[in-house]
Amino acid sequence: MSSRSLKLSLLVGGALLMGACGDDDGTDLDSLDQQLVVNFADAVVVPTYNLLATRMVELDAAAQALRNAPSATTLKAAQDAWFAARVPWEQSEAFLFGPVDSYGWDPAMDSWPVNRTDLDAVLNNNDTLSQQYVSQLQETQKGYHTTEYLLFGEGQAKKPQDFNARQFEYLLALTAELKAVSANLASSWTTGVNGQAPYRDTLAKAGEAGNNVYPTVEAGAQEMLGGVLSILDEVANGKIADPYDAKDPNLVESQFALNSLSDFTNNIRSVENVYLGHRPESAATGLSMSDVIQERDAALDTRVKAEIAAAIAALGKVPEPFPVSIKDPASADEIEAAQAAIRKLHDTFQVDVKAVILP
Amino acid sequence: MGMGMLLWLAGCGGTQAEAPADPPRAGGDTTIDDRTSRAFAQAAPNLTGEHAALHRDGDAAFAAVFVPGPAPVNPGLGPAYNNTSCNGCHLRNGRGMPVMGGGPTRTQLLVRVSLPDGTPEHPNGAVPVPGLGLQIQDQAVYGASPEATVTLAWEERSGTYADGTAYGLRSPRITIVMPDGSSPPAGMLTSLRLPPPVVGLGLLEAVDVATLRALEDPTDANGDGISGRLNTVWDVQKRALTPGRFGWKANSPNLRQQSAEAYFNDMGISNPLFPEADGSAELPEATLNAAVFYAQSLGVPARTALTDAAVKRGETKFKDLGCVACHRDTLETGEHPVAELSRQRIHPYTDLLLHDMGAGLADGRPDGDATGSEWRTAPLWGLGLTQTVLPYSGYLHDGRARTLEEAVLWHGGEAERARDGFRKLSSSDRDALVRFLQSL
Repeated sequence: MSSRSLKLSLLVGGALLMGACGDDDGTDLDSLDQQLVVNFADAVVVPTYNLLATRMVELDAAAQALRNAPSATTLKAAQDAWFAARVPWEQSEAFLFGPVDSYGWDPAMDSWPVNRTDLDAVLNNNDTLSQQYVSQLQETQKGYHTTEYLLFGEGQAKKPQDFNARQFEYLLALTAELKAVSANLASSWTTGVNGQAPYRDTLAKAGEAGNNVYPTVEAGAQEMLGGVLSILDEVANGKIADPYDAKDPNLVESQFALNSLSDFTNNIRSVENVYLGHRPESAATGLSMSDVIQERDAALDTRVKAEIAAAIAALGKVPEPFPVSIKDPASADEIEAAQAAIRKLHDTFQVDVKAVILP
Repeated sequence: MGMGMLLWLAGCGGTQAEAPADPPRAGGDTTIDDRTSRAFAQAAPNLTGEHAALHRDGDAAFAAVFVPGPAPVNPGLGPAYNNTSCNGCHLRNGRGMPVMGGGPTRTQLLVRVSLPDGTPEHPNGAVPVPGLGLQIQDQAVYGASPEATVTLAWEERSGTYADGTAYGLRSPRITIVMPDGSSPPAGMLTSLRLPPPVVGLGLLEAVDVATLRALEDPTDANGDGISGRLNTVWDVQKRALTPGRFGWKANSPNLRQQSAEAYFNDMGISNPLFPEADGSAELPEATLNAAVFYAQSLGVPARTALTDAAVKRGETKFKDLGCVACHRDTLETGEHPVAELSRQRIHPYTDLLLHDMGAGLADGRPDGDATGSEWRTAPLWGLGLTQTVLPYSGYLHDGRARTLEEAVLWHGGEAERARDGFRKLSSSDRDALVRFLQSL
């Protein structure tokens, strides 16, 4: 158990009861500092989505360059742009809430499996493949993984000369759509879309009167914690466990680019960014979960940071390529050690961090 | 360990007397303390080890995105369908968005259809429409045609509260065009439906029929203006008429059939209850079982702000206005094959009975014993999390209500007296009632 001061325990415990301590206006002077969610929104969520939108612009440009002059160099640049665009998305998966689902942008970008049957049918028809056309397709015919399949091919075997004009037409429609969707996603947080207020405000104004989404700062903090727990659980017990337990490479995400372990690592980075309250390319500016924990239980803060590093290190020891490693007995120890390290971090957040942030 | 239980130990000197002795736990032992976007996606905390594993399998089944076969993963979609996964409609296990069409903002609304006269597929069933069946599948895999194209427009109208405050209400107008450009058959009945949240369904399944029968008052014998009766629907496994309790009109008798109907109708996936002509099924039995169990075994979020003065005042208004006559705050479950659901005291705010809700909400499409103006009382647990789970979602059977006030204002028929009472409340009391609903 973490040791907290009695004072804090009382203050924050009382905060969970809106008006529990006699003031009936639904506020509590001793609740968690709203700066925690303000900083989370402004220094983690918004910059991550902005980076995603930027990387999609770059992916689209690289795909155009590949079409204009197919070569080993332009193909590698387009593939690298795909890898780079994948990073902020995976780093957003510790906070998959808000407009990303309301408007269908998560499935529009990150649906899996790839619908090979209908993808091949589209490649073989005579329709004009515009962004609008692709937008209307099933999610399993567009997004990251369909783009990945076109750029990398089976087992990363794609060569510049393998592309035909039709594949380029589809590829560019896909990257244009990814660019549009990610721009909308970023805008939904920063300026608002469809006449709605910026979602940044919804989160950052947790605890303010009339906020029906996060009526208390604690609800906002619980959202942060819940997102962390959700992605750690998913990586250890879904993304790794499903293909590993079944020994089935078909169940591996990002299987064409062989990017799975990078995806998993960026999911842990997502957790790290939430915990530290900033992205790695920026310095810490506002109140973070780490700050709150450090103030109340410095040893726990040290442990969380060490366990994040350990989870990332353990993933780094799993041999590539992941679809092969899941079937290789020689890789079993490393895969299970990575799962164990992620589960340990999950349990630390679920039990110890939660006890301090939301007693 | 539940936060709710901690609240009363949190030490607010001198206010202990205000704390209820037994804070209501929405789902009994299945209650969770989560007010986040994932509040509808947590396992009940009382699941045993084996059941926890089955729940996890069901979680994966709910999220699984289907593609047309042949495919190595999740084959069987279509050819025509409404969506490609359970979570494609029930976003984060909550509602869908009240939109129609393609593109990134996918259709989550669907249209049920039937003919007013003809031969139903089974006793007490609706009469299928040639080419459409009982539900318009407005999406299709490549090379197949959707059954029809549906477009949605909203019609606005305004009203005023007794104190002069104005409000606006909107109702949907759908246009259906057949693949050849023609109109659907004249006289076809339609009903637009928004996916409801998935939490608490197992507990509702576990309430004994006798308990619900005791709540029925089909002839309004007690003269309170409220009748209420169970629907009677076809059970495809028993091949018999049986009480219905799931769906906006309670047209499905149990979660296994409800889930199988969703796979078959919403995703075009044949399954053990709705097999192919040769008896085969695209969906493995184990997957159906896991999906059903998942819907049965989700945790129900506990209420929040129990001691907030406005919330408490709103709860009193809710009772005084008579809302509880149908939105019953407490039920007891009986024995259920899932032991974790058995003998629980729950607070779903429903009686699971059909009530006439008046012309304003009527879809004019009978379903089982439900008339064109009858609806099953919607459970209200988790209601306050609607915008947290899915920002910009709507309320009522077709998502027409953008706010909880609008949802209340649409009530008519047996609920007219309660609705009129709400319209006469002061602004402060209306706010309090909404604050109470937000706390659920």
